[in-house]
Amino acid sequence: MDAIQVQDLRKEFKAYSSRSGLKGAFRDLFTRNYKIVPAVNDISFQVKQGEMVGYIGENGAGKSTTIKMLTGILTPTSGKIIVNGMNPHKERERFVQTIGVVFGQRSQLWWDIAVQESFRLLKKVYKVSDADYNDHMDHVIKTLDIEPLLDKPVRKLSLGQRMRCELAAALIHNPPLLFLDEPTIGLDVLVKLKIRDFLKEINEKYNTTILLTTHDLTDIEALCERVIMLDEGNIIYDGALKSLKEHWAEGKEIQFEFLERAELSRLEELTSGLQVKWDLDEKNQVFTALTGDDEESVSQVIARTVAGYKVKDVKINEPSTEEIIRNIYERGMA
Amino acid sequence: MFYVTIFFQYVAQYMKTRLEYRADLLVEIFSDLLFQVVNLIFILVVFGHTEFLNGWSREEIIFIYGFFLVPYALFSSFFNIWDFNERYIVKGELDRILTRPIHSLFQIILERMELESLFGVVTGIAIMFYAGGELGLGIRWFDPFLFIVLVLGGVFVYAGIFIMIACISFWADARTSIMPMMYNIGNYGRYPVDIYNQAIRFVLTWILPFAFVGVYPAAYFLGREEWFGYSFLTPVIGAVFFGLSVFLWNEGVKRYRGAGN
Repeated sequence: MDAIQVQDLRKEFKAYSSRSGLKGAFRDLFTRNYKIVPAVNDISFQVKQGEMVGYIGENGAGKSTTIKMLTGILTPTSGKIIVNGMNPHKERERFVQTIGVVFGQRSQLWWDIAVQESFRLLKKVYKVSDADYNDHMDHVIKTLDIEPLLDKPVRKLSLGQRMRCELAAALIHNPPLLFLDEPTIGLDVLVKLKIRDFLKEINEKYNTTILLTTHDLTDIEALCERVIMLDEGNIIYDGALKSLKEHWAEGKEIQFEFLERAELSRLEELTSGLQVKWDLDEKNQVFTALTGDDEESVSQVIARTVAGYKVKDVKINEPSTEEIIRNIYERGMA
Repeated sequence: MFYVTIFFQYVAQYMKTRLEYRADLLVEIFSDLLFQVVNLIFILVVFGHTEFLNGWSREEIIFIYGFFLVPYALFSSFFNIWDFNERYIVKGELDRILTRPIHSLFQIILERMELESLFGVVTGIAIMFYAGGELGLGIRWFDPFLFIVLVLGGVFVYAGIFIMIACISFWADARTSIMPMMYNIGNYGRYPVDIYNQAIRFVLTWILPFAFVGVYPAAYFLGREEWFGYSFLTPVIGAVFFGLSVFLWNEGVKRYRGAGN
């Protein structure tokens, strides 16, 4: 069964544009200029139960708007959403019982009260029985290592501690579907790793579906096999992270350091006829060759360069996912 | 039933938090009390020279004030939605509310309750007993029940009006200063409406029916038979306004645009 089914989903916002000057302000009083801006533009996708999907895009690409429609917070302008077999907005109160939500920039917990009191209140809100709670949450609390934090008020926790508690709070009712909006924003590496491991674990243990938005692509690389990429409200890529890399990786980057003094022009001459672009980092005397798509060019460039100069060090870098994605956005299209 | 359980869960939690900050609690009760005393002194000063105002005696007006305090105290304990726009719309806290399986308005009531305002109920009843004693009013066996019904009617009138104003935030982005103004207008309800001109009286009865929080229901206990019709309309007006406000709220939530991150 599909956990999420989205068909031609669209959300429009009315944006007012104000006229300039005092005269314009007066005219705005009577007739306002507004245009309709689609934040999400007729997108369709499905997510299967148990999948971990990374939902990525620049700021303003429509990620949060989509998540808010999927969680029942916003009503779509048009299109169909079925999540966990329900229409999120129409059956909101029944529906939210089956999802867990973590908004990185917004707390689910009560600020003034101890973490365990928040948990207890949420347990009542979600009608979780004592047996289920103990069985499930003991494990969650142990894995996230938040036992010592339970009796502290939320306002006294550090960001990393709070996020772990937020995650635990979102799982109190053991939902089959988890939405995470920027869950690792501002966290240090150790906490990030802990959270990732934890997510992997619950995904394996309960077959929990996870939809994750983040700016940190290492999160996506660590967790998601599938990514959905959004740009200006449209899906520009939906598929395996691996094939995204293969499809969009544009050659490799080779860094040379030479024992003798090298000239950029001479290097260009040596490798003339090949698909390659040279760059020089003046400070460190590091020469960088960016090769083309063609498989042969890496060995060709190295062979010819080595023939011309004595080499101290060679490094071959694969472009990171981040670079690939930046590339895609810069060119605006897939 | 579930809502009742949840209600008491929140109340218990609220008390726990409040008791941790004891000094705060005392200061708040004290300032509430002071506010009410100042209002009472104002009435006493105004009526110090005149025994009657448009046919209402000083004690009657004090009685109306005492009655008004009861629904008002209940309202301010549970319907603190005057900052709904900033707190929930601008800051986007409504996002969180909407991801929980309880009606959104009910959750906000639970989160924002301020039970120390309930102290006003005690003050109000004390004032009514004092003024009632001066007037020689008796209590019949069904009066306490009618009192509860009329008070609840008044609470729902107040709640309905303020929820409707809060709903404006779903349609309009800009902040409005209607809320404080409305608190001011609300105060007019605690004086006999026939001292105002026809237009104001009409507004206080049918448009912003604050008169149903103070003078109309209190008139019943004062035995002012010419007002009885209005007195018994109190629960009806309360139900209508509150029902309408909940309907508007539900419509508004559908139009909620969310706050950007």
